[in-house]
Amino acid sequence: MTKTDDKVMIQVKDLKKSFGDNEVLKGIDGTVKSGQVICVIGPSGSGKSTFLRCLNLLENPTSGEVLFDGKDMTKLTHSEIAGLGARMGMVFQNFNLFPNMTVLENLKLSPKKVKHLSDEDATKISLDLLDRVGLKNKADVYPSSLSGGQAQRVAMARALAMNPEVMLFDEPTSALDPEMVGEVLSVMQELANEGMTMVVVTHEMGFAKKVADQVWFMADGYIQEKSDPETMFENPQTERAQDFINKIITD
Amino acid sequence: MKVNVQNTSMLHYWKYFADGLKYTLIISIVGSIIGIILGVLLALMRISKFKPFSWFSISYTEVVRGTPMMVQVLLVYFGLGVLVNIPALTAGIIAVSLNSGAYVSEIIRGGIASVDKGQSEAAKSLGLSKKDAMVSVILPQAFKNIWPALGNEFITIIKESSIVSIIGVTDIVYELNIVRADTYRGVSPIVVAMVMYFVLSFTLTRVLNYFERKMNHD
Repeated sequence: MTKTDDKVMIQVKDLKKSFGDNEVLKGIDGTVKSGQVICVIGPSGSGKSTFLRCLNLLENPTSGEVLFDGKDMTKLTHSEIAGLGARMGMVFQNFNLFPNMTVLENLKLSPKKVKHLSDEDATKISLDLLDRVGLKNKADVYPSSLSGGQAQRVAMARALAMNPEVMLFDEPTSALDPEMVGEVLSVMQELANEGMTMVVVTHEMGFAKKVADQVWFMADGYIQEKSDPETMFENPQTERAQDFINKIITD
Repeated sequence: MKVNVQNTSMLHYWKYFADGLKYTLIISIVGSIIGIILGVLLALMRISKFKPFSWFSISYTEVVRGTPMMVQVLLVYFGLGVLVNIPALTAGIIAVSLNSGAYVSEIIRGGIASVDKGQSEAAKSLGLSKKDAMVSVILPQAFKNIWPALGNEFITIIKESSIVSIIGVTDIVYELNIVRADTYRGVSPIVVAMVMYFVLSFTLTRVLNYFERKMNHD
């Protein structure tokens, strides 16, 4: 975890998001540096996913700034936001693979449509990535025949095919059967070791402990505490975090 | 007393029915194709954020659904006829297409809504433009979901296209009336026409089922 250089990748300033009268994010500040792995933990309904989805503008923030590479993304036009997809990859809880395409086509689609790569180049990149997540033999099957763990690894490969600078993970293992969590986490750990900048919303405390450079604890629409994993899990500084950590350890 | 020496067997009149079949097929096929294109356009206009598009699509659909197709056929033939002289066949095709477009657009709108929101989010997170997401991800899945309903609409077009006989398009029903008048046989030509329509729709159902199975990757 020494590969973190000091280049600021994402900076969030006083980010707020409401759905109707329901204020989900009440003022989030945070900085993600290049190469850092941030794990966001917290009780359900605390706004973790909404926060993550504001980072790549799947949700439009109500107010505040999200600076990516120094540019305020909340002020971008539609087409500029689309261009962001090439630089920020996202992995969803429910994989969201395209069921009408084979695994290989899932991976090739974006590089071809957005980056205008030739079919040959896109295929090569895609097969390399599938190999990396251990699923090269599944290239020509449809997503419906994959197990959850396989589907999520394909989803990661699909996001990586765009060669993103940051990867966002929205509870990537929450929809998986327990025995499949490991295979997904190990791919994520590998990514982290290679120096990928990652923001991970997760309930996998073991993963957060082992891989994160910083753990952000969210509750009630705020980030209550930002600590290194050791402090967060052994000696949380805020009462709210202590509460939460105690609960998950005793449960 | 004169005896009818004419051959009034239906087989003898096969050319009439064949001719009718040709026009029914032309109208149905062309009408379906234009209907789908129109339907996709109307559905996209309907969900567009640009309000006038949405309003137009809603009003169009409501008017077409709320008036009889027979009246629409007459309006296209005689109404357009005031401006330009169009052949009955063209008028028939236009009327059937316009009518079908409205119904298809409602089916497609439902299909687009049936695709999980996560799909367009995934497409967006991968940097795909709205258009690419629609063409490569959303519409293919929407079409798969609405295939049975769409098949229903095609079959309806085959049957309902018979209305165009009133403006003189020589489709199956038009020919059926000619054969009836020619032979003085009241029932047989109707039965022949009925069998023809049934064979057409039944064959189409089989073909559609084949494609449905092919699209099914689950």
